[in-house]
Parts: sequence; structure tokens; C-alpha cells
Amino acid sequence: MVLIDLFISFVKIGFTSFGGMSMIPLITSEMTVHNWMTPTEISDIVAIAEMTPGPLGLNCATFAGIRTAGLPGAIAANLGALTPTLTLCLLAAVFFERFRKSRIMTDMLVGVRPACVGMLFGVILSLCATNYAPTGTISPVSVGLGVLDFVLLTRFKVSIPKVICLSAALGIVLFGVLGLP
Amino acid sequence: MKRFREVLTLFLQFMQFGLFTFGGGWSIVAQMQKLYVEDKHVITSEELLDLTSVGRSLPGTMIGNVAMLYGYRVYGVLGGLACVFGMIIPPMAVLAVITHFYTLFQQNPWVAAAMGGVRTAVVPIMLSAVLGMLKSAFRYAPCYLVMLLTLGLYLFLDVNCVYLVLIGVACGIVIAEYYERKGDAGRGAH
Repeated sequence: MVLIDLFISFVKIGFTSFGGMSMIPLITSEMTVHNWMTPTEISDIVAIAEMTPGPLGLNCATFAGIRTAGLPGAIAANLGALTPTLTLCLLAAVFFERFRKSRIMTDMLVGVRPACVGMLFGVILSLCATNYAPTGTISPVSVGLGVLDFVLLTRFKVSIPKVICLSAALGIVLFGVLGLP
Repeated sequence: MKRFREVLTLFLQFMQFGLFTFGGGWSIVAQMQKLYVEDKHVITSEELLDLTSVGRSLPGTMIGNVAMLYGYRVYGVLGGLACVFGMIIPPMAVLAVITHFYTLFQQNPWVAAAMGGVRTAVVPIMLSAVLGMLKSAFRYAPCYLVMLLTLGLYLFLDVNCVYLVLIGVACGIVIAEYYERKGDAGRGAH
């Protein structure tokens, strides 16, 4: 049953993600394994999740849930993604002092952080093909926009929502009005 | 009855936080700092920092974890649940509406053109996030190997990321334990 599958997928994602962007590779894996989302839709959800309130991971859960099974799907996916919070984190809250001094989580993160960096680079490389060569051939306009966005984000410290709005406007002009490939 | 009303207040406060949390989890911590540390003096700034660092080190959504830890601290299990669900309901409602319209207008040529532009921003956004993670990701030299290993497994063998994280967990414990035994004086220096 799709609701149970969604829940289980997001339990897996929840327990193996450690905040923010680190959830994206896991979501990409789980969504493509089940054919729930295409790489294009994953790009879209990253952008949408950055523009709307709430943590990225839960926004992805809502999007994926609704797209696959409507509102019940969204609830199942969110509950799945929240399972570590409702179980492990509750335990940590009960034994807070003991947990704060324990080394096991920080030890794990020594390996999880570089693994997340590696996975994210992998996802970035595969999304490059989806986003800059949507029809199979490289679109110079898309590459140019990407470079512009990167410079704005890193050199001029423009906020993410502003960069997304600008890209949408440029997309309408360049792809819509001018009809560039 | 008083207790019920207080838990309800907590729920409503976190609904408000949830509605104004954009991007990462840090904005909610900033809002908690303002309301609970500076205005109401429920907890101290150090306690909030402790909650945040434990919340960050646990799997799952960081702010979900911070909400649970804070709620439990002030009103036990019920408080924790009130904070977590209060915080997730508004973004879920907003995104449900957006997803509905996304599905409706996906095929519209103007929307498609706008999304084509937006998609060009996704790789730069992710890239700048990864660049920000580089500083804290490589505490010991073998961490670079872990990164190369996971990148290779992802790209060439298409291994599911769930397993890649588990590999990271195992490597982390081994690496940290090794350097701990070696008596690395640099441990704890972030």
C-alpha cells in the first residue's frame, strides 16, 4: 500500500539525514527507486522548499506525499520524516544530561558529514544534466543563468529566495518571451 | 486546566515560529532566543544552545528535534508533541496548497518557462550549501576518503544514499575511536 511505502521511505530518510540539504540525496534515492518523482521534480521541490516556510526535509515530504497519494500521503510522509524526532529525540530529551555528555553521536557525525558532502556532490553532478541539458543537448542559456546565480549567491551574498525569484523572471523572459532553447 | 492552556499556548507559539521559518533551522532558534530567553526568561541562552547542539547531532529535522527538546523541558511529553506538531502544521498547509497549484499549472507554457529558469538556480544553491559544509566536514584526514568513497559509490554503482549514510556512520565511529585512542590533542577543537 502506497501510504505505508511512503511512511517507510521517509522513516529511512529521517533516520539517515542530519539536517538541511543532507536530506536531498536520500530523498532523491528513495523517490527514484519507487518512481515517485523525476529528477526534474526533485529540482523543483528543492526550489519550492527554499521559498516556503518550514524545514526543507519536511517540505519535501509534503510535496512527495501529495504528488503520490494526496493529503493522506503528505501526512504519512511527514510522520515518517518525524519518526526520529518522536522516538530518538524524545529519549534524548528524557535523558538529556546523560545524552549531552555522550560521545557516540558526535563520533558518528565525523563520518556522516563527509559522506553527506560526497552524496551531495553526486546529486549535484546528476542534476547538472537534468537542469542544464533538459533536452539532451547543453543549453547555453541555462548554463549562463546557473553561473549568474552562483556568483550572486556566493560573491554578492544575495539571499536564496531573491535568487529564485530572479531566475523565474529571467526564465519567463528568455525561455517564454524570446523562446530560447 | 491551567496546564492544558499552557500547552495550547506553546502549540500556538510554535505554529507562529513554523510560519516564519524560511530556509534553514536557524531562524527558529533565533525566534526562540527572542521569545523564551530575552522576553519571558523561561530558559537561559546557554540552555538553548545545549538544546540546539543536541538537536543538531540527532538524525531527522534539526528544528523538529529542537522543538521536541524544548517542549519536553517545559511541559514533558505533551509539551514536546505540542511544539513539534505546532511547528509543522503551517508549512505543511502552505506547501499542500502550492503543490496543488504546481500540479495544475505544470504544463502551462509560462509556468514551464519560469520553472526552467528556477531550475538553473538549484545546482548553485546546493553547491553553495555544500561549500558551507566543507569547513566542518573534514575533521580528520580519513574523512576525505569517506567523501570520495561515497561519491564514487553514488555515481558509479548507484548505491542508495541510505546505505551511504550507514557507511558514513560506521566510518565515523572507527575514525573517531582511532584518533581518540591515539590521544589526539586536537579533539574537541571545532
